[in-house]
Amino acid sequence: MSESPSLVAVSDLYVRFPIHSKGKKAYITPVDHVSFAIERGEVLSLVGESGSGKTTIGKALMRILEPTSGTITVAQRDVTHIRGNALIEYRRDVQMIFQDPFGSLNPVRTVEQHVMFPLRKHRNLKDAALQEALDNLLERVGLTPVAEIRIKNPHELSGGQRQRVAIARALAVNPKFLVADEPISMLDVSIRAGILRLMNDLKADYNLSYLYITHDLASARYFGDRIMVMYGGQIMETAKSSELVRKPAHPYTRLLLAATPGNPVRQALPETSNAAPDLLEGRKGCPFADRCPFVTEICRETAPQLLSVDAAHSVACHHPIV
Amino acid sequence: MSQQRPVLELENVSVAYDSDKGPVQAVNRVNLTLYPEEIVGLVGESGSGKSTLAYAIMRLLKGSAYLAEGTIRVMGQDVYSLSKKELRQFRWSQMAMVFQSAMSALNPVMTVEEQIIDTLRTHRRDMSLSQARKRAEELLHLVSIDLKHLRSFPHQLSGGMRQRVVIAIAIALDPAFVIMDEPTTALDVVVQRSILDQIQEIQRYVHFAILFISHDFSLVAELASRVAIMYAGRLVEVTKSERLQLLGNHHPYTEGLLRAIPKLTADEVTIEGIPGYPPDLVDLPTGCAFHPRCPNVFADCMIDRPELYQMEDGLVECHLFKGAKEVHYV
Repeated sequence: MSESPSLVAVSDLYVRFPIHSKGKKAYITPVDHVSFAIERGEVLSLVGESGSGKTTIGKALMRILEPTSGTITVAQRDVTHIRGNALIEYRRDVQMIFQDPFGSLNPVRTVEQHVMFPLRKHRNLKDAALQEALDNLLERVGLTPVAEIRIKNPHELSGGQRQRVAIARALAVNPKFLVADEPISMLDVSIRAGILRLMNDLKADYNLSYLYITHDLASARYFGDRIMVMYGGQIMETAKSSELVRKPAHPYTRLLLAATPGNPVRQALPETSNAAPDLLEGRKGCPFADRCPFVTEICRETAPQLLSVDAAHSVACHHPIV
Repeated sequence: MSQQRPVLELENVSVAYDSDKGPVQAVNRVNLTLYPEEIVGLVGESGSGKSTLAYAIMRLLKGSAYLAEGTIRVMGQDVYSLSKKELRQFRWSQMAMVFQSAMSALNPVMTVEEQIIDTLRTHRRDMSLSQARKRAEELLHLVSIDLKHLRSFPHQLSGGMRQRVVIAIAIALDPAFVIMDEPTTALDVVVQRSILDQIQEIQRYVHFAILFISHDFSLVAELASRVAIMYAGRLVEVTKSERLQLLGNHHPYTEGLLRAIPKLTADEVTIEGIPGYPPDLVDLPTGCAFHPRCPNVFADCMIDRPELYQMEDGLVECHLFKGAKEVHYV
């Protein structure tokens, strides 16, 4: 795509978890041979339903979990299996904003304790410099008046304010890349726009890249430069945000669009069943085959490759809508 | 509007409860009427009082919460004048409720069939077991669940199927009126859409009115014919759903919500949040509760609570609409 190497390059990522099926040990594969890249300053929206593997990808990128196979390269460094100090150092470049701002903050720590810890630990700031960095950060994320907010405990804050604390804490290490996993889905509607705008503004200020994980196509389109649609552990389609919404090529993307509230065209849902995808290791064919109105024999036998239909628009489907 | 007898009439309904910080008015003089077979959306943020209102209608208020004033009538019957025994019969046969969390609304150790039969036979003492079984089959058919799931336990069903079972139980006794409290919030968009389609489909055969509670504006606008918007315990606007497609002539809070939602297909993709945070109900702002966040605020807003004004297709509680016809409830 671009001349310089991508900030994040994921190649053939594979994650499997053991389960017990009928007394035997088996594996499910929430991330099944996934490859993608994120450029510097780019926001990639990752869209999919629960169980599609989007959070697992986020966790693998954060190295909260270790991939089974494949490689993750961030800023030209292979981080797929790093441990110990290398991992700690890596987290200076990559931070995560979690879905639940009630669970992600420590209830007995104040706002300043939350944000000061990474400032001290990762940036070795002390005394006046620490205080100044803290005040600037809280002010930047809109937690004002700073003097009042910094001594509060999480339970004294609203959901939106808590998410701002989580963002400030993530920014404290001066990261290059943020994984935001459904950061607004637990917030009130009137608060969501403010958080999305804040993340958007920070992108320019800190030259940040994001992986924005969401189930909501509308916000994915608003915030993301590109959208990547996942289903059953595999990438179904990826394209520039406006292109994906206007000209979806994959039947699953069409289904998502038809189901999203606020779509001016109301139509019957283009699906043939509502069965959940099979995630068992060794499954055959396209994960969407059982629900797809265009299914043919080949779909059940061979998983389609992700192929480009246009510049920056790829789709994994034997019968794309073009 | 329809001249039929309303299924739900709320007159000056207020609900209060005691909290650690003092008395709280969670619902504040709400007036709303639902007519047969109508779907009305009730939209608000968390803490706006929408669920409290639903619980008040069902007479399910718990703890220190109580109906502080006003009357709630369902099918002309004052819900709060019923004896406990009458209430048990009235609930579910006249009014039912679908709760947000289907997993906790269902009994984990009873099969789907047992739960439906249990509901039926508790309310219809004269119903035989075979009649109840037959009705359970009909109901599952109505919500498009394979009959083999009659023997399934809730944990064996997907989230969407559980919510369908809960809906089947809610309409088991043909109530005239069903409250649905965020029935699809925990579900994926595709499942959500198919359940909403299903609700509309069922409503074509079985006639009941729905008060549909949600925080999702665009979803409610698609489903309901009218939408009531709640803020800090008050209904600040009641409008026809079509009007939510357009900006202008709304309460500033409604307007703010409309601007806060990213549009899926629109060309412009700017969104604006509403500044500030929803108010603390213990310590409500003076005058209009929305005034600290309102972009159109002026002196009156901080002192006086606005009147309710009649618009073409609805009601707005805002000083900006002064000059329009005032609506006075008794």
